[in-house]
Amino acid sequence: MLVTWKYRPRNTFIQSLDPRTRLIFMFSIILALTIPEIWDYRLILAIFAIALTLYLMARIEWKDVRRIWLFIFILVFFIVGLNGLLSGRGGPSSVTNLPSPIIFNVPIKIPFTDIGWDVPITVSKAWFAITQVTRMMTMTLLALPIPYTTDPNVFGTAFKRMGAGDKFAFTMDLAFRFLPTFARDFIITMDAQRARGYEMDKLKGGIPERLRKLSPFIIPVVMQSTVTGEEVIDAMDLRAFGTKPRTWLKVLTYAPRDYVILGLGVAIFIACCTLKWGFGIGGYFVPDFFSNWILGL
Amino acid sequence: MTPAPLSVENLTFKYRTRPELAIEDVSFELKQGELLLIAGSSGCGKTTLARCINGLIPRSYRGERSGKVLLYGKDVNDMEIPEMAQIVGTLLQDPERQIVASNVFNEIAFGPENLGLPRDEIIARVDQAMKRLNLEYLRERETFNLSGGEKQKVALAGVLTMNPSILLLDEPLASLDPASAHEALQVFRSLADEGKTVILVEHRVEDALEIKPDRLLYMEAGKIKYLGGIEKLPKEIDHTQVKLPAPWVVQRVKGLDKVEETARSHKSVERGEPLVVFEDVDFRYGEDYPLILQNVNLTINRGDLIAVLGPNGAGKSTLVKHAIGLLKPTRGRVLVEGKDTREMSVAQIAKVLGYVFQSPTHMLYAPTVTEELEFGPKNLGFAPDDIKVSVKESLSTVNLTGFDEYPPLGLSFGQQKRTTIAAVLAMRSKIMIMDEPTAGQDFANYTKFMDALCNTSNGAHSILTANFASTLFITHDIDLAVTYANRILLFGDKHIVADGKPEDVLKDADMLLKYRVRPTSLLSLNLELLSKTGEFLPAESLTKFVS
Repeated sequence: MLVTWKYRPRNTFIQSLDPRTRLIFMFSIILALTIPEIWDYRLILAIFAIALTLYLMARIEWKDVRRIWLFIFILVFFIVGLNGLLSGRGGPSSVTNLPSPIIFNVPIKIPFTDIGWDVPITVSKAWFAITQVTRMMTMTLLALPIPYTTDPNVFGTAFKRMGAGDKFAFTMDLAFRFLPTFARDFIITMDAQRARGYEMDKLKGGIPERLRKLSPFIIPVVMQSTVTGEEVIDAMDLRAFGTKPRTWLKVLTYAPRDYVILGLGVAIFIACCTLKWGFGIGGYFVPDFFSNWILGL
Repeated sequence: MTPAPLSVENLTFKYRTRPELAIEDVSFELKQGELLLIAGSSGCGKTTLARCINGLIPRSYRGERSGKVLLYGKDVNDMEIPEMAQIVGTLLQDPERQIVASNVFNEIAFGPENLGLPRDEIIARVDQAMKRLNLEYLRERETFNLSGGEKQKVALAGVLTMNPSILLLDEPLASLDPASAHEALQVFRSLADEGKTVILVEHRVEDALEIKPDRLLYMEAGKIKYLGGIEKLPKEIDHTQVKLPAPWVVQRVKGLDKVEETARSHKSVERGEPLVVFEDVDFRYGEDYPLILQNVNLTINRGDLIAVLGPNGAGKSTLVKHAIGLLKPTRGRVLVEGKDTREMSVAQIAKVLGYVFQSPTHMLYAPTVTEELEFGPKNLGFAPDDIKVSVKESLSTVNLTGFDEYPPLGLSFGQQKRTTIAAVLAMRSKIMIMDEPTAGQDFANYTKFMDALCNTSNGAHSILTANFASTLFITHDIDLAVTYANRILLFGDKHIVADGKPEDVLKDADMLLKYRVRPTSLLSLNLELLSKTGEFLPAESLTKFVS
């Protein structure tokens, strides 16, 4: 299946939390890392440890998430990590602006030409890549369990109770309702065209040509989505959606454990801001143990 | 005097995007508790009329409208949506697209929530609707995983919580197996008996007649052709256009002056060598998933015209997807012309086996019908001249000649479906597999292409159909099986529970009911006359055996 997440009721601390608590906590951590621009590995590691603990407490079965983790590992390690290692961009300017010892050079050459240059891999870039990957994994550890461990029926109510309008809040419900439908349409379309001898893996030509040849697959998927969208709008209109403020039947209530987690999230956010802006702690630097180790290799 | 719940006066409508009138000068009135059946071929204006009644026209669909639609004397144009939604409750054709919530309780509560009603009242309404339709057992279930029949009932419950006095049901039987359709019809009848005005728009006229609608409104090309009681139907409606109960067809044909010459017979096809073989096939989607197929053994031979019957969600489509290699068995093997499907690509199998999917929108993509039909043959490496001949013959077989340059996605649903059949036909496969070929099709059109595909009419032979070694179709329409199949597979409980001649398999009424197949009037009449006919025949052909 294209949509791999599967919500299951579980008797865990994480699933006993109010969905708003989990969303607010996740946003608090993301904001704590991004707004004061925390690049200090000590702070990042501490937050990573908290995120990992919460992830493990969610007790999501490995077989449910192995595919999505594989995708995330490829994305984070090979795209984000390699980009950090080669370019040093996407983070503090000190990664590239301040002098740093070169570990080795990577020769880059434009194919079929003599044009080429060496990209220096510095100690600073290498450490930045590690830090960047850890930051991304921290955010992923907090975000990934949410669809697996949150009842899809409460997303709309959660956003509504967090102050969103009826239409925005119900859009969240609709997204979770129709993703499996779209995924199924996607698979059926692929099967229907394969049954007509269409082989996507044998497409040849440049990118525009390949895109054109993908039309037997893309057009039916888009059409299905459009038709579904129109019918859903009709169905909602016919049941008076959006004509007046609606009653949200589901009631959400905070328990003491929610306040603990919310407090932790807010505390981390305040601590990061205070450390960075009040005491100048939390900026990017390369620890000596890493420099000594990597240059000693 | 209290105004009628619904009054339609000289209603005419033309969509902004189309040149022709969608409906023209339609007038009728409905009383409280009346059940009106609206029938007609694809594109005759049924859905447009329904949209005018529930207010989607002109609110969501723009165009030129004249005439009036009055609900209790008030023009729908002067009403706000919440007011209308509490008078006219609409059940759309595809419940999958009507259900907007992830769980059953939330879905049923959706309408009253939108009206801003107090929580206690919403819960009371939901409980009442669930009780009314016996849905309490589904209360906490996810809507995505419901069966087709369950989805239909949940969607109806969602409509009933709005307390409408008029129910507008747009082809509610289209995706239901016969038993689920029967159950749904009984609910519609009881709602009318309780005082709700029910408008049932439906292709499956014979099924709908079972609940004795008070009147039938029959449309052709946007106009009312017949409006009246159902007792006059055998005289008023052409049985080649609308599927009528078999005794009515016999009565009508007997009343005609000329001898019926369109009688079809197909049983003379001889069986030949095996083309597809299933050997001890088990299948599940993953280690943690339940078995869908269990110990399936099946051989499809040259000459077979197979109808696959069985309840919704039984695994019929999963079975045929194994034949074309889209799914591979978890255990056992499937052989196509002697080769294991595990060792063949889907494209290789497509040269032998053509598969028409249920929904045309999953297949159609090209700017013109011709290009759509060329797609498969090109993929299979046909020569350009052969492609031209294939396309022409295919269009003719499904009655789409002249539509060559039309955009397929701009055609009516019935025409789109026939385009997909033609698209697979053009691939000149030896075996044709069709998933619900008649769903959403009107009787006249599907009779024509089924005659051609099953070689049952004299004029149907072509280079394409002559190439066919076997045809297999999945259907809920038991009369289609009676009329066209020479072999029935009854599928249920993860395997084939019966496999044999129609005359043998379909005589066991208890077994049919167990697998949600309900005998029809055509089947009953055939069984009654079997000692005289020796085989199952279409209704017209039975005429000469009825004294």
